[in-house]
Amino acid sequence: MIGRFLGSRGWRRFRRGRLAMASLAVIGVYFVAAVAVTLGAVSREDTKMRVGPNRLPGFLERINAEKRYDFNKWYVGELSGVFGRAQRAGDEAAAREMLGAFALAERRMSGAAPSELFPVYETMEKAWGELDDALAMREDLADERFVLRAEAAEQRASGADASATEARLREVEERLSEIRPRVEELYREVERAIEVLLPMPEGLRGLVYRLRIGLGTDSKGASISSQAVYSVKIAFQVGFVTALLAVLIGTILGASAAFFGGWVDHVVLWVVSTLSSIPYLVLMAVFVYVFQAPSLAKWFDNPDRPGLGLVPLYAAFGLTFWIGTCRVIRGEVMKIKELEYVQAATALGFGRFSILLRHIIPNTAHIMFINFSLLFIGAIKSEVILTFLGLGVKGQPSWGIMISHGADGVTNFFFWEVGAATVFMFVLVLAFNIVSDALQDAFDPKHV
Amino acid sequence: MTNRPDTRSRGLQPPEQEVGRGGGFQPRDGRPKAVLEVRRLTTRFRTDDGVVTAVDDVSFDVLAGETLGIVGESGCGKTVTSKSIMRLLPEHIASYGEHSEVRFDGVNILRADSRQMRRIRGDKIAMIFQEPMTSLNPVFTVGWQIDEALRYHTNLSRRERRERTIEMLRLVEIPNPERRIGQYPHQLSGGMRQRVMIAMALCCEPDVLIADEPTTALDVTIQAQILDLMSSLKEKLGTAIMLITHNLGVVAQVCDRVLVMYAGRVIEQGCVREIFHAPQHPYTQALLESIPKHGARRSRTHKLPTIRGIVPSLRHLPAGCRFNDRCTYCQQRCIDEEPELIERGLPRPVRCHFPLNQALASADHAKGER
Amino acid sequence: MWAYVIRKLVYNIPVYLGIILLTMAALRVRDPVAGYLGKNATQSQIDRLTEDMGLDDPFIVQYGRFLWQIVRFDFSEESWAQPGRSVRSILIDSIPPSMSITLPQVAASAMIAMVIALISAYFRGRLVDRVLVFLAVLGMSISYLVYIVFGQFFGAFLPQHLDLKVQPFAIQGYLPWLTEPRNWLTYCLLPVMIGVIVALGFDTRFYRAVMVEESSRDYIVTATAKGASKPKIMFVHMLKNAMIPIITRIMATLPFLITGSILLEVYFNIPGMGRQLITALVANDFPVIQAFVSVLALLFILSIILTDVLYALVDPRVRLS
Ligand SMILES: Nc1ncnc2c1ncn2[C@@H]1O[C@H](COP(=O)(O)OP(=O)(O)OP(=O)(O)O)[C@@H](O)[C@H]1O
Ligand code: SF4
Ligand SMILES: [Mg+2]
Repeated sequence: MIGRFLGSRGWRRFRRGRLAMASLAVIGVYFVAAVAVTLGAVSREDTKMRVGPNRLPGFLERINAEKRYDFNKWYVGELSGVFGRAQRAGDEAAAREMLGAFALAERRMSGAAPSELFPVYETMEKAWGELDDALAMREDLADERFVLRAEAAEQRASGADASATEARLREVEERLSEIRPRVEELYREVERAIEVLLPMPEGLRGLVYRLRIGLGTDSKGASISSQAVYSVKIAFQVGFVTALLAVLIGTILGASAAFFGGWVDHVVLWVVSTLSSIPYLVLMAVFVYVFQAPSLAKWFDNPDRPGLGLVPLYAAFGLTFWIGTCRVIRGEVMKIKELEYVQAATALGFGRFSILLRHIIPNTAHIMFINFSLLFIGAIKSEVILTFLGLGVKGQPSWGIMISHGADGVTNFFFWEVGAATVFMFVLVLAFNIVSDALQDAFDPKHV
Repeated sequence: MTNRPDTRSRGLQPPEQEVGRGGGFQPRDGRPKAVLEVRRLTTRFRTDDGVVTAVDDVSFDVLAGETLGIVGESGCGKTVTSKSIMRLLPEHIASYGEHSEVRFDGVNILRADSRQMRRIRGDKIAMIFQEPMTSLNPVFTVGWQIDEALRYHTNLSRRERRERTIEMLRLVEIPNPERRIGQYPHQLSGGMRQRVMIAMALCCEPDVLIADEPTTALDVTIQAQILDLMSSLKEKLGTAIMLITHNLGVVAQVCDRVLVMYAGRVIEQGCVREIFHAPQHPYTQALLESIPKHGARRSRTHKLPTIRGIVPSLRHLPAGCRFNDRCTYCQQRCIDEEPELIERGLPRPVRCHFPLNQALASADHAKGER
Repeated sequence: MWAYVIRKLVYNIPVYLGIILLTMAALRVRDPVAGYLGKNATQSQIDRLTEDMGLDDPFIVQYGRFLWQIVRFDFSEESWAQPGRSVRSILIDSIPPSMSITLPQVAASAMIAMVIALISAYFRGRLVDRVLVFLAVLGMSISYLVYIVFGQFFGAFLPQHLDLKVQPFAIQGYLPWLTEPRNWLTYCLLPVMIGVIVALGFDTRFYRAVMVEESSRDYIVTATAKGASKPKIMFVHMLKNAMIPIITRIMATLPFLITGSILLEVYFNIPGMGRQLITALVANDFPVIQAFVSVLALLFILSIILTDVLYALVDPRVRLS
């Protein structure tokens, strides 16, 4: 059937569309990513592992003073914890072991001997302490300057002698300008120390680490890029399985209804019109609710079998989405049934099933492909919505989870989590949209 | 046409029935005035599979008050020709050749701006379409739709327009017009709708009426009525008619001159009498042979049963003469080079290397000259 | 005409009976009582609740009883998750908030999409058209949730954060329109706008397709041949015909908007039907789920019938036959 589809005129027309072919290539890239994730390129642990401070922005975003302080403070805090324990551990080997246990993914504690690292750690601590003091002092001075300025202005306005205030103001400003380079210096000192204690990995590991933090970290310090990539797999699972399920159910029921007519047709039509009278989101939500029943939880909600976690979602989507396909296929088969060669085959006494399987269903291939790609999009988009509503994916990252989690980040001006999920999803959905449009144009030119 | 010409002899029996009777066209002072001049009309379509030339270098005149027939098999470009004349083809896919001209009243329609076009369409040149079922807007009453044309092209008051509409409907022999103007197209029969179309086309008394197979979709008896109606209206209003049809019987009945088209080109043109008497192009001859006996009912799917082969696709035209794969007289030269539409001493222009009936045609023509 | 309406009603009765059947059956697949009370419930608690709800009766009896409840609109049982409130009061209270964000949404999105589609169809094949179509596809490719997240951020949060003079939208919440119309507006405006923007992509494409299809019809050629100008053709001849599928579509989206706004309601904390349903689903509030699904389906079917009737009003071919 796929062969016949690939040999058809419509497919040849489709292949001429450059945009459509480019989109197909994009889908291919995503597919490769999904396969790579399945093969273990990004594991579920990778998506949970801490790789840096919380809500670290991704590449190219300038880190402002406030965030710089926060991030450095986080590093200093984590390192003091480790070194504190290592110091308490007593002997060198135990300390080394303590230190070695600390890692942010590929970024590990320096391998140097503890005796070399302790002094660095101590300078860092000291510098950080000074930095804190300096910052506090700077704040006090800034406050004082504010007050003095107001005072001076008042005195000038009332004609009183402002010289004393102004002299004090000058002094404060001088001290402020002295403190500024000092703060910068201390920052650099702390950062240098961190860099020594936690050196950026080199070579391949370095590249991997940079990719991990390339899109920033989420509110628990886990890598956003790993999650976004891992979600490609989830999206393909959900999209592929549900679209396939829906297209299969829809085609079989639609084709049988049209081909056999009679009571089969009546029953199918009744089910179709009944199900389509429930708004699809409600239908989907109710199906998920049903399939997440406690009695089924021991199969589907079982950490031993993580692959089955999505089964309720597949079932709900598949059972909801087949309706549209069934309608279209039924209409098409009605038409095909009247074609001469089918009539001839019937007259020649071919079995009804063989006519259905050999002559009719293959001729609906283009509809199946178009529906498949539309349903793929529908599944990905619905996953996000259901996940947000608390009925979708649980326990593993997905774009829906990322968007739902990242939503509070947005109000803190942290866009990386939502942004990454959005862009990853947008590109895939756009590619599918373009492909299904092009398929529709190529196979059904009249349909505008 | 009661007589079916003998196919084997290269001469044709003159048809018993008199042809060309429907014409009010009498060339009085040598050359009658041409109201519409089509010159080197070439129409191309941009399609998914490349550009197709649906009409290729077609030239002809429509003379004042005459009825010009255009015949040819399905897909030969008749509709495209007529729609090109009114520029009704979808602009985003159709384009015209750079030397193409359609002159009307000193204006080249193919280059006219939209204001000029609006003045010409419906007022000077009107058109009736093949499908009466779909050509009327389903959600407006027929009265409103006729009224619309009057609104655009006349300064009549609402009352006068209503009267004119009723008068037009009466003219096209629709009973009870006062009631009909309030009805929607789906409440009328096919023949009735075509009459409404005719009323709509003629309400502004155009100089040229283009009728694209006005009767093909109708019942035989209705066909005859509609044709009679058109002929009599033509007499009354002096409109020139360009009648497109598959049906040579119709041509014989109502046309003065006829243009035969094949695969986007004109292959022969001339007076109906001459062409019926002595076709020069093998295709014309084959067309004439395929006219069924009188009274035999023809369905739309069964248009010209006796020409063997099929119309070549515009994308895969044969080299040389476009008719060569179906022509009984085909020779090597026909495959090597395409014939021009030139007279070459012939009485009528023909696009064939080996025209038929030359002697007969010349004699006929001489008779006509006299 | 009335005969037509009645025929439609009668035709839809078996469909509705089917919905109720499927809903009830689906909701009983998982034991609702056990799900609600959790693992630690004692057998006697389970039995009592089961008995209260009549869940121990044969299915057919329950089916008949529930149908009778629907007919009388008598959902007087108590909600499980919100003790003290009857299902009926939850239902009735949640309708106005839903309507306040659904109806303006339908009206506005239909209007705007129609205008864009007309522009697009008018310039068919030209740059304007292609840009609009592409924008529509882009718009369709972004998740609803993302629109909401960023809509709230830029519409309500940022103005408040920057302390702008004009803060037209509230961040979230809802107040009844009868008592506080001004506040009601600030609460509803943003969700409505977001809903409209989301709907725009698909609607524009659909309307454009309808219009392009209509503009290739024979009667358009006839009108052109009559000398009608392009605006006349677009706005008079084509639009009236295109209204037929467009009305169908608008009506068909109505019930979907009830649920399409589930997301808006949950995110903006608007106590509408969608949010109540989701709350009920998450909290295993069985009586509410059952009643809501049935009522939503009823609304859906009624709107389909209404569509058919409107359709008949626009299209003389249906009206006069
Ligand atoms: N919109 C279009 N796009 C592409 N090709 C077209 C279009 N309209 C017509 N053609 C091509 O132009 C050719 C001539 O078509 P046309 O409709 O003029 O034939 P016709 O002589 O009127 O036939 P019929 O007797 O069936 O009406 C056909 O081969 C057709 O494929
Ligand atoms: S040119 Fe040759 S092939 Fe063509 S019509 Fe004349 S005889 Fe036939
Ligand atoms: Mg035609």
